[in-house]
Amino acid sequence: MSIRETNLTVYGNRFNAYTELRLQRNRSTQISLLNGDVVSNTKTSDGGVSARVFKDGVWGFASRPQIDNDSVIATVDEATRNAALLARHAARPEIVLPRTKTFKESDFGTKRPRLTQQQSIEFLQAIDAHIAKTYPDLKSRSVARLDLDMEKHLYTADASEGYSNTTRSLIQVRMTTTNDAGQPVEYSKTFGGRGQFEDVFTEPAALFADIAETHRHLMNKRTAVSPRAGLHDVVLDSDLAGILAHEAIGHTTEADIVQEGSVAADYIGKLVASPLITLVDFANTYRGETLPVPIYVDDEGVESQDTILIENGVLKNFMHNKESSVLFGVPPTGNARAYTFSDEPLIRMRNTAILPGKDKLDDMIASIEDGYYLLRPSNGQADSTSEFMFGVTLGYEIRNGKLGSAITDTTISGVAFDMLKTVTMVSDELSWTCAGMCGKKTLIPVGMGGPSIKCRVHLGGV
Amino acid sequence: MVDRAFAQRSLDALLKRGFQKARVRLVSSDQHELQAEFGHTNLLRTTHNTELGLLGIVDHKQGSLTLNNVTDEGLPDAVENLWAVTSGSRADPANDIAEAQPKRIFKAGPEAADLDLMYERIAEALDYAKTRYPTLKMGNASISFASRQALFLNSNGVDFDTTRSAYHASLMFTARDGTDVSSFNYTGVTLAALDKPLVSHATTDALMKQTTEQVRTRKVQQKFTGDMIITPDCIGDFLGFLLGSIGNQPLISGTSLYKNSLGQRVADAALTLHSRPRDLVGGYFVTGDGYEVQNATVVEDGVLRSFLLDLYGSRKTGLARAATGGGAWVVEAGATPLDTMIRDVKAGILITRFSGGRPNDKGDFSGVAKNSYYVDNGEVSYPISETMVSGNMAALLTNIVAISSERADFGSGIFPWVRVSGIGIS
Repeated sequence: MSIRETNLTVYGNRFNAYTELRLQRNRSTQISLLNGDVVSNTKTSDGGVSARVFKDGVWGFASRPQIDNDSVIATVDEATRNAALLARHAARPEIVLPRTKTFKESDFGTKRPRLTQQQSIEFLQAIDAHIAKTYPDLKSRSVARLDLDMEKHLYTADASEGYSNTTRSLIQVRMTTTNDAGQPVEYSKTFGGRGQFEDVFTEPAALFADIAETHRHLMNKRTAVSPRAGLHDVVLDSDLAGILAHEAIGHTTEADIVQEGSVAADYIGKLVASPLITLVDFANTYRGETLPVPIYVDDEGVESQDTILIENGVLKNFMHNKESSVLFGVPPTGNARAYTFSDEPLIRMRNTAILPGKDKLDDMIASIEDGYYLLRPSNGQADSTSEFMFGVTLGYEIRNGKLGSAITDTTISGVAFDMLKTVTMVSDELSWTCAGMCGKKTLIPVGMGGPSIKCRVHLGGV
Repeated sequence: MVDRAFAQRSLDALLKRGFQKARVRLVSSDQHELQAEFGHTNLLRTTHNTELGLLGIVDHKQGSLTLNNVTDEGLPDAVENLWAVTSGSRADPANDIAEAQPKRIFKAGPEAADLDLMYERIAEALDYAKTRYPTLKMGNASISFASRQALFLNSNGVDFDTTRSAYHASLMFTARDGTDVSSFNYTGVTLAALDKPLVSHATTDALMKQTTEQVRTRKVQQKFTGDMIITPDCIGDFLGFLLGSIGNQPLISGTSLYKNSLGQRVADAALTLHSRPRDLVGGYFVTGDGYEVQNATVVEDGVLRSFLLDLYGSRKTGLARAATGGGAWVVEAGATPLDTMIRDVKAGILITRFSGGRPNDKGDFSGVAKNSYYVDNGEVSYPISETMVSGNMAALLTNIVAISSERADFGSGIFPWVRVSGIGIS
């Protein structure tokens, strides 16, 4: 059965409570070259059917890998039984979930001929050969292709229906050299974003300028100095502002995290940031541009809405699924998303960004007498207190308004709702990244965006 | 129940297509999960899956494919797809499959889930938290029972049939007193039986209690270099750099700090680290490349005894293949009681959760000490916040001062408390 063509409405007569029925298949390709050798060459396809049923205040969920008539029926029936079984132990006052009815289709599959595996490997080899030839000073290099296509077809008891094929393609380039002490120094950069490989990457040479920039930063890191531990004036470049928006604020304003005790629970309507800060979790589009992870209907059949989290410094809203929207007395926002067919939807971000301001990046750097310009994050983590941490793999000192030496890899931290009040400048450009996977019980791709912001954060170091 | 005949037909089909070497992994899994959110059990989840992993080698080119729910009708397409993936690759003489080993059947864990007991245990944990720690807010809490049968066949004659099942419990919580909120904390244990209350396992009860104390924190007064007592809950974060540096990629690329350290001292003599996948509830029977796994000692009295190379890594580097595929880590207990260890610290911190950036290839790290305490003149003084710790992961292991005689058993690992010196705290 094709996921798209399967008529799910015929199973509506099996539903005897609020039910979501979802067909899903995730397809991924991973090819990795390490110093020219193919060390990973694999394709994965993981899919099936799932059903989730809400009855007597509790949920039943079931999934099977077969996508056929018998499997769909068995899955719906098992989820229904699970809800009834749990209700015998733990029934709660019935909550009437909001009824939503929509029909949306989106397909970000390529219309171009697909590359064969051989052509894909040759594409990566051309990049690898260019790096090997152009940068003989490297001790090690790796080039990897990572694709993920998520195809979903949803039908709910409210007769809401959605089909989506959300795709992304990435190429990661990692370079390692040594410093004068013979110690390894590394830097990596990920290119690509929404779309399938053929639409995102036209030819290897199109990446060469960005690879040159990546190599330039690596060479600067050979003589990097340790940052001074403590609180400093910094300019966070857009990648870091994006992860700040996602990790430090976004997670604390997910309604399930709020229910768990997030500090943001008490802040609605209050000033939590500089008036220069407006922060939005976008569903799919910003200023006419389709965003990295476009969600038109979520996995509960809710039409996805943009959610303004902070507007001119004031906390405005939380992100919701259907159940939390009832508890908070607001409409659902379309943030319920599942990663694989066997996962239930959770409240997840989509495309989270701080909106641009009016300042110029050069002026922001020039305004700092003694501080740091931080460009690239690695991992990040947030907390219910809004205390955040990000790894930083690329940064430079700022001395008397000018960039100085590169700094060694470090970590920045702060309490987001305090730190955002220290923002004094916001740049006038906005850039998005689509390489991130958010981890909250399960993984899921997210988009993050931001301008550059000037603020004060705590740096780890000597 | 895996379909042995289908696995054999899959292997035959690969060889018939022209692969010179082939490997098949057929897995059937079932999982039952009870989940509670915000103190109420609210989800019963049952999932079934079958997964077919195919690997083929032709003319030293290798490719692999992982698909779920493949049937006899879909098998020819899967074989052709793998042929396209493999033939488009590049030859590498290091590509290979495991050699023949005696046929074995392995089995561990309970036969079936006891759903009623699962419900009782999670309800008991929620009730305990509510009555014992009124300010504790339970987030996501779950008990799952996963059963997995896997068949490993290859064209050299490998034939392993493994069945493993276990319970896994995880609890996440935050404390809130008025408008004061703690950091969240969490823990998880893998269990063969639900014979004891969940909160009695590993450090669960201590973490709950500490979280209620952490609603009001203080910053460390000044930047200093001191000791850090690493709890069993986060010692894995500090062993991760060493373990990540002795696997395939860093050793093949030659970027590992430990590339010349086999047989050399890499940690204080107090540290002995084993991988015990054959013993632990959360272990496994067969390595990813198709060998019967063996327990192994990776660090013995501070000396590196084994890299973690698989078959490909071994052939690529000319170094020995590890007997273990890693994981199921066990750190041997030391001689120092935890109370004594704390009493010996003049100024430092007790760290329970590390939220840090990935260390670079040199091992330099920095990160936030979460759910942690300032230790002053031999006493745990006060819970801290906004405190960064920094240092070097390789140096940290050589700066171990003491290892506790007590350990916590998480089912997937067994760890003590470890005191290290020379940590930057700011």
